[in-house]
Amino acid sequence: MMTTLGQLDFVPSMWSAPFTDGHLWMGMVTSILVGATCGVLGCFVVLRRMALIGDALSHAVLPGVVIAFLVTQNTGIVGLLFGALLAGLTTAVLINLVSHNSRTKEDSAIGIVFTALFALGLVLISNLPRGTHFDLKCFVFGIPEAVGMPDLWLMAVIAAIVLITVVLFYHPMKLISFDPVVAAAMGLPVMAFHYLLMGMISATVVAGLKTTGVVLVVAMVITPASAAYQLCNRFSTMLLLGGIFGALSAALGMIGAYVVNAPSGPSMVLVATTIFALAMLGSPRHGVVFRSIRRWRHRRHIETEDVLKTIHHLDRSDQPTDVAAISSQSRVTMARAKAILRELRQHKLIEGGASTLNLTEAGQRRALEMVRSHRLWESYLADQANMPPDQVHDVAEKLEHAHELADEVDRELGHPSLDPHGEEIPRG
Amino acid sequence: MKTPQAPAITNSPVAASTAAPAISVQNVTVTYENRPALRSVTFDVQRGELIGIIGPNGAGKSTLLKAVLGLTDLDGGAVRFFGESIERCRQRVAYVPQTSAVDWDFPVTVLDVVQMGRYGRLGWFGRPGREDRQQAIESLELVGMSAYTKRHIRQLSGGQQQRVFLARALCQQADILLLDEPFAGVDAATEHAIFELIRKLTDEHRTLLVVNHDLGVLEKFDSLLMLNQRVIACGPTRDIATEENLRRTYGGRLSLLDRAELALQNQESPQ
Ligand SMILES: Nc1ncnc2c1ncn2[C@@H]1O[C@H](COP(=O)(O)OP(=O)(O)OP(=O)(O)O)[C@@H](O)[C@H]1O
Ligand SMILES: [Mg+2]
Repeated sequence: MMTTLGQLDFVPSMWSAPFTDGHLWMGMVTSILVGATCGVLGCFVVLRRMALIGDALSHAVLPGVVIAFLVTQNTGIVGLLFGALLAGLTTAVLINLVSHNSRTKEDSAIGIVFTALFALGLVLISNLPRGTHFDLKCFVFGIPEAVGMPDLWLMAVIAAIVLITVVLFYHPMKLISFDPVVAAAMGLPVMAFHYLLMGMISATVVAGLKTTGVVLVVAMVITPASAAYQLCNRFSTMLLLGGIFGALSAALGMIGAYVVNAPSGPSMVLVATTIFALAMLGSPRHGVVFRSIRRWRHRRHIETEDVLKTIHHLDRSDQPTDVAAISSQSRVTMARAKAILRELRQHKLIEGGASTLNLTEAGQRRALEMVRSHRLWESYLADQANMPPDQVHDVAEKLEHAHELADEVDRELGHPSLDPHGEEIPRG
Repeated sequence: MKTPQAPAITNSPVAASTAAPAISVQNVTVTYENRPALRSVTFDVQRGELIGIIGPNGAGKSTLLKAVLGLTDLDGGAVRFFGESIERCRQRVAYVPQTSAVDWDFPVTVLDVVQMGRYGRLGWFGRPGREDRQQAIESLELVGMSAYTKRHIRQLSGGQQQRVFLARALCQQADILLLDEPFAGVDAATEHAIFELIRKLTDEHRTLLVVNHDLGVLEKFDSLLMLNQRVIACGPTRDIATEENLRRTYGGRLSLLDRAELALQNQESPQ
């Protein structure tokens, strides 16, 4: 493979070349398979905090690939795969050895091992026999237009193996990823799983080399999985989303690269990063968007209840129930008051014309509920929290919206009939 | 609980496996980077016994549990469960570590975590079924966490997380439970409830090894193992929970023997 790739050079106009000949679909399908597989495997990497391992494996396969190239004297895909697997597993074993038999922390051990192996690979390349050409640029950046049928087949087989493994061993893999200590105590083969994972990542990385190159393949492992991590509360959903995001990044990246005439590896990564950014903003638990929506809804809810109560009071004291009075008494803007009134009318809580608003029976019930909650909370604050009666009103204005607790407050206080200001507490 | 000399009843394998103690620890020694954490620890735990392990920080209590489970390499000695090696009994032993190094953002719910207790018996390709789910829900009820079934584990307090891990161990329905400070961060009412639960377990002839820091509840244990690198005392609580033994365990005064060993070690590898 490398010899043919050697003839391709880094000329920008080359990027769109493959799309005009018939090879487009092979690069596309392979990239999507790489993206999906990386996305699924990436979930384990992200959850086990092994992001650096992805980087390590992708670089450390270099000497394996070069040695395979030397030994087999050709660029057969199977030889390369074995070289990569061997290098990947060696990396994993070496990292383990270094971090367990010295004071070196795991992240440093990873850094030491993979840079050493990458360096070894570079030295080996420069000592290749004359006449052979190993294109390092291809290794580093990938050249998807060189993707051929054997690459596609290889990737299809790897993707199938990964998928089957994850589906078959889903439960043990979940426990091992979540709590390796207890998994080991239960007798699950934690180390074997670790090496299996390393092997699968190495294989995927080497198969994905042509599509993204070693530098960027890490992004395909980590970014889609991290996006999925933001969004879900179930492990199975995360794996599924990771795979989908990976595939999507690959597909959109390829198309984008074609449209703007850019290299496809980097544009896949940019798509993945965009997905990640969107996931960050849109995440139900941490996401900025969801949080503001929730806060806005809550405020809206409280204002609605306040308006209901205001109409009730105005009605009681025979004051005109028009929008202006409602807006000033319940401290909302005119526009807001109008919107809320419209909503109340829709829910059949109010009826009547613009200046003669009436609560319907249901509206009356809701309003009384609020009044009752307010006065009960005032009593509670005065009696149980020893707050001076002139201060309880403002606090109760907030607490009254927790009206689901009113009955409990009522019971706690022994069913009082008057609040601290001497007003009657409606019965529930 | 009888220490070293276990009664040699018979050599027949059947009798041996029924009569063998639930856990038998013989001369277990563990060293970390040349520093001994356990020295020649020997004790037996009988079936249905509730034994408390006490000792100061760094006494090697957690190390002992890990050694018993085969999670750390032994520098000597042997551990047997019902007369067999740990590898043959993994399903029958449940473990709650002192601190869980889990990622609290891991996408799992409380029920998922508790169900993991069943994975050991599911085998390679098994999927948890309705029965496993039922068992998990019951275990959550036992620790008073059934209201949190669908919660994500991130939304729990420290004490609640501890209770969920306890539920996972219960869900395993193991014959032996090794609990490393299960009451750390758990409120008094829950601690009381859990002790009652533990009582019920021993009534079902389950065996419990509980590391505990709280000297106020010693009388709840059938027997005690006082540990400070070596076994200071071991036996029925009423016999050995003496002022003298506690002072020797927590006193921190090293015996001449320990000091000699330390001196030799420092000569060998000066720090
Ligand atoms: N992984 C480790 N590597 C090196 N030394 C260790 C390791 N784990 C524990 N130790 C040392 O072994 C000794 C016993 O530790 P262990 O965790 O068993 O104590 P412990 O009795 O459980 O204490 P605690 O009451 O604080 O839980 C300590 O001196 C500790 O420093
Ligand atoms: Mg400990």
